[in-house]
Amino acid sequence: MRYLPSPGRVVAIAVVLILFVLPPLWLLLSALKPQAEIFQWPPSLWPEHFTLENFQKTISRANFSAYFLNSAIVSVSSALLSVAMSVMAGYALAKFRFKGDTVIFLLIMSAVMVPLQIVLIPVFLVLRDLGLLNTLWGLIIAPAATPTGVFLMRQYITGIPDNLLEAARIDGTPEWRILLRIIVPLALPAIGTLLAFNLVWRWNDYLWPFLIINQQEQWTVQLAIANSIGRFSINWPRLLSMTVLSILPMLVIFIALQKTLMNGLMAGAAKE
Amino acid sequence: MQFSNKGGSIARLFRLAGRTSWPYVLLLPTVALLFAFTLYPLLQGLWMSMFRRGLVVVPQVPESIPTFVGLNNYVQLLADKDFVTSLLRTVLFVVVAVPLQLIASLSLALLLAPQTRFNAVARTIVFFPSMISGLIIGVIWAWLFARNSGLVNYGLSLFGLPAVPWLEQDQLAQAAVVVAWVWGGAGFNMMILIAGLTAIPKDLYEAAAVDGTSRWRTFTRITLPLLEPSIVVVVVLGVIGAFQVYEIVVSLTTGGPGRATVFLVQNIYDTAFKRPDQAGLAAAQSGVLFVILMVLTILQLRVAKRR
Repeated sequence: MRYLPSPGRVVAIAVVLILFVLPPLWLLLSALKPQAEIFQWPPSLWPEHFTLENFQKTISRANFSAYFLNSAIVSVSSALLSVAMSVMAGYALAKFRFKGDTVIFLLIMSAVMVPLQIVLIPVFLVLRDLGLLNTLWGLIIAPAATPTGVFLMRQYITGIPDNLLEAARIDGTPEWRILLRIIVPLALPAIGTLLAFNLVWRWNDYLWPFLIINQQEQWTVQLAIANSIGRFSINWPRLLSMTVLSILPMLVIFIALQKTLMNGLMAGAAKE
Repeated sequence: MQFSNKGGSIARLFRLAGRTSWPYVLLLPTVALLFAFTLYPLLQGLWMSMFRRGLVVVPQVPESIPTFVGLNNYVQLLADKDFVTSLLRTVLFVVVAVPLQLIASLSLALLLAPQTRFNAVARTIVFFPSMISGLIIGVIWAWLFARNSGLVNYGLSLFGLPAVPWLEQDQLAQAAVVVAWVWGGAGFNMMILIAGLTAIPKDLYEAAAVDGTSRWRTFTRITLPLLEPSIVVVVVLGVIGAFQVYEIVVSLTTGGPGRATVFLVQNIYDTAFKRPDQAGLAAAQSGVLFVILMVLTILQLRVAKRR
């Protein structure tokens, strides 16, 4: 039977779409207006004069491309590192029985109870002692271990048949080769999901850079946005264009991988 | 057999030792980083909460040098007006925002659950805010709520209503944070609830239809009870997230007007950075938040296990 929505439902869906499309669309349209039109009252719903002026200024004067590059370097490196670590740890917990395996698993999972928000002050001291303050390395390494990632990989790798591994061992394949040649190729779907999640998480990080980075050359996109918000005055044309630019990579990832991202959540991964 | 001619007994012994230590090698990076950036800081933080000390200990600043005070910081918190106010404000936020978000995401789920191509697109659109940071969601809503250029006030003006100073009055600014927070998280929770809805057997609804049960009764007697596990997940995740509300405030209100939207996490930073002898006090506040979050997480795990 074909599903036919009732008129009431159609209206409700229309309202929902307006509520969710309009806020980001309004941001985009405003960013495309010349400065004077941005603050005009009543506002023009559709820009009377389209311009890329705000974007050009943001990119050239506000040094935004450097922050963009920092964010890109950090997100990609940290995501790759995190996925590699999660595959290793997940594999160990899925396919090996060893002394302390349960304790280590519980220890890793208990870290979900400790968000960065509540350990910010001592973490700051650890970063200082490790010499990671004001380095992109700090942003790459510090958030890389995630219980969510380990859990996701452990669940997935548990499903890989044991006899594949045993056959390889009987053939005398070294352990590192089993990991790289059997586990990694077979776990690729989960690896892809986790990589996508990590890219999103790291691109959106605000607290880590807030804690680690003090020098302007090393700002990430989120830090640049937060720092352009003064308590009493805001440069809206700049902020609007920065915000639009910061959303673009997430929009691309989302369009490319929306099924993976939306269903990956269903597999039990939580928003970090 | 093949492995007997792979090498002598020493090599085999070596490989055996390698295999027993292999899982530990695999776990080492994860465990080391979690220890350095989560578990050790947690213990260090709880230890710090029993000292009066500065964030950074500087010999020239006598107040910053650690002095053991036991549980005195926790006692002091009870009389700390900023802390108590921000804690109560956070609790109020949780109590208001989480049910609103549940209602919003449940309505969205019921509306968009039927599997049609159009609904799939609509779900994607509603989900998209989950892909962007709290900071950006704050910016989006700050621009919508702007007094003299915002779309919200423009909408009101179309109905002849005066401009509302959304971000300039205490309660209005708090309401704005709630709206932005609910909007930002509704799509994510909608997906959890849709997964729950799809798992409800169709024949239950068919039976209800045959019996001529009213739609409201079907909803309260079939949908709600069977959806309960998903609802609990949404509520518990929501409560845990709402207790940590901070990023969205940074860009939406920066805690203002005055301190009207300073929640617990922001108060912790303010405390730590305000004076050179308050890092211990801030750590004690973190300790309180940790206990709250731990209780909630354990609750969540128990619910998840029951399922």
